[in-house]
Amino acid sequence: MNKSVLIVDDNLALLRVTQFAMERAGFQTQTARNGRLALDLAKSTAFAAVITDQQMPEMTGIELSRALRALPEYRECPIFLLTAKGLELELSRLREDLGINGVFCKPFSPLAVVKAVEDSMMTCA
Amino acid sequence: MIVRRPNLGLPRRVVTYHLLFCSIAIVWLVVGFLIVAHGVFSARSITACLSRLGKVTAAVELEYLRHAEHSIHSLLVRAKNESHFRYCALEGLDGTYLVHTDASLVGSKVEEHAGTELRWASISGTRYLDQEGNPIHEYRVPLSVGDRIIGALRVGVPEPSLFATVVDIGRVAPLVLLIPLGLVVCGALVLSRLTNSLSEIGRQLHQLATQPIGEPVQLQALELKDATSLGWNRAVAALERNTNGELRQSVQERLQNAVAERRVTQHAEILRSLPDGVALTDVEGRLTFVNRAVAALLGEELSEGADLASYLGNAGLEAIVNPEGTSTGAPVIGELQRPGKQSDRFIRVARSPVQLAHGAGQLWCLRDVTQQKLSDQMRDQFIDTATHELRTPLANIKAYAETLVTCETIDVEEQKEFCNIINSEVTRLARFVDDLLSISSIEMGALCIDRQRVDTFRMFTEVLDKIEPLMQQKQIAFTSELPEKLPELQLDKDKFVVVLVNLLGNAAKYTPAGGQVTFRVTIENSHLQCAVIDSGIGIEREELPKLFDKVFRSADPRVQEETGTGLGLSLAQEVVRMHRGVLTVESELNVGSTFTVTLPIEGAK
Repeated sequence: MNKSVLIVDDNLALLRVTQFAMERAGFQTQTARNGRLALDLAKSTAFAAVITDQQMPEMTGIELSRALRALPEYRECPIFLLTAKGLELELSRLREDLGINGVFCKPFSPLAVVKAVEDSMMTCA
Repeated sequence: MIVRRPNLGLPRRVVTYHLLFCSIAIVWLVVGFLIVAHGVFSARSITACLSRLGKVTAAVELEYLRHAEHSIHSLLVRAKNESHFRYCALEGLDGTYLVHTDASLVGSKVEEHAGTELRWASISGTRYLDQEGNPIHEYRVPLSVGDRIIGALRVGVPEPSLFATVVDIGRVAPLVLLIPLGLVVCGALVLSRLTNSLSEIGRQLHQLATQPIGEPVQLQALELKDATSLGWNRAVAALERNTNGELRQSVQERLQNAVAERRVTQHAEILRSLPDGVALTDVEGRLTFVNRAVAALLGEELSEGADLASYLGNAGLEAIVNPEGTSTGAPVIGELQRPGKQSDRFIRVARSPVQLAHGAGQLWCLRDVTQQKLSDQMRDQFIDTATHELRTPLANIKAYAETLVTCETIDVEEQKEFCNIINSEVTRLARFVDDLLSISSIEMGALCIDRQRVDTFRMFTEVLDKIEPLMQQKQIAFTSELPEKLPELQLDKDKFVVVLVNLLGNAAKYTPAGGQVTFRVTIENSHLQCAVIDSGIGIEREELPKLFDKVFRSADPRVQEETGTGLGLSLAQEVVRMHRGVLTVESELNVGSTFTVTLPIEGAK
């Protein structure tokens, strides 16, 4: 079973701790500092799930999600959004339009993210 | 006497003067005429006398030759009666009367009268006064028969009197006197008629002059006769119009009117000068009033009578124009976007129905809300930034803390690293909260600085110690140029260090790796200048004026990439300002920026 996860965040500290939590849960992880790098990485490697920050330079999390959904191999891939906003984003619309599997408002619990990723993989499997 | 009786009336006075002077002239003429006439009559009667005397003399000489002196008496009596002589006498050579019309004197000695001597050729005479005082002319004519002188003829003639002359003239008097008198009377009548209007005018003016001041002026129009009366009537009519108009109003009323008028003008002027646009349209939507601000706001001069609604409609504000739904009385509000010099301007247009004296209308209020819009945008941006700035460290702290708590197997190095991260995130959070508090202190005017004598060299060293690791980390060539001798200044050291760290931190933040940052301190003209010069991304010219605005952040994506609150520069400027200094900026996009703090050195010349 593919257990590689792509984590995208411009904040290194948060990237680090998310990566730490995911690896502790037994996932293989790769990281990217921004959306564009993440997209390039996603094209070369098939990830089982993507965790991305929303507010990032060059390409936001939502833009990245849209670009990923345009790729055939990521049409069903679970995508999780981390955001410092929350209230401004319409979660239901994000789910319907982009099939975002989960949105986590900062400050979030890394364990909750891990659990959500695990759950989504179970469902997919 | 006439002059002293003004109530006599002008025409009467004129006529009286006329008559007076005319009468004097006539009397003068009559007297002169009498004198002249008397002279003429006297001369004529003397001439007649003398000619008769000649005849009588010839007759007496003839009679003497014929009958000697006996029949001469009857001749003399006849001559006396015919020629109105007083007497006639024949004087003998012996000096006695031979013959005399007064028989009692015959034979008596000839009496020589004393008086004025008269002489007419061979005739001599004397003018004397008789016993009654009447002037008598006595003429003596020598009588001769052949060569023999026989005596002299003495004739007494009464002198013609003035009375006799008057009686004589009396016959022609009607012609001489009545015609001039008649002409004088005619003149008087004409004068009286000519001055008739003036008389009435004079009477009324006299009445006006004698009445107490303040009483209503009452003048009557005259019967229309000539130009004078016509002019007077017009003057009276004009005066009446004035009296019936404003003059009749009392002082109080006029004062009230003046005050009301002034108030109206004042209100109109206030309306015209309002910074908000105010316009009024009638039922048909035509402008009936528009103040100056409207033209300034719309950038177009709208004259009265223009169609404001369709103008706004064309300008892209159909929403406010179309619906007639103002029945509730609440204003309909719309917003108009107009291109401005630097950025678009927003104009809020409110339309409300208004009931005016001459019918229903619409009142339009226009207000420039660009500033409000900008400040709303800034607030949104600030909240956005603040949320991000607060949540990011919080997220890190929570994530690391949770990881530390939940992970049972975690090595010490990692534990330490995680704790360090939590620590630095807490510091970041605290600094942000500090900035927020400082900004809100500025807002409330409560930011205070604690000035103490500060060794500026040590202060700069402290700043450099803080900033140099950052420069190294970002691989920026950092140089600092400090003068050898630095003065001590009265400063709030902590706040000033924050300012300099902020400026240098910005330089580091917005200068790409490999760039250059210089911190140069100079002393010039009793001012200390600290310049932070970078070779960074620079600032757009349009954004320079807004640079020190609170929570302003450049729209440059290279700035948006970096985290920041937009508070630092506005805080720095405020602190510098409170030290009586200035913070200035020069910048060129993609070349670099220079921020300069200039502080006065107290006590220096």
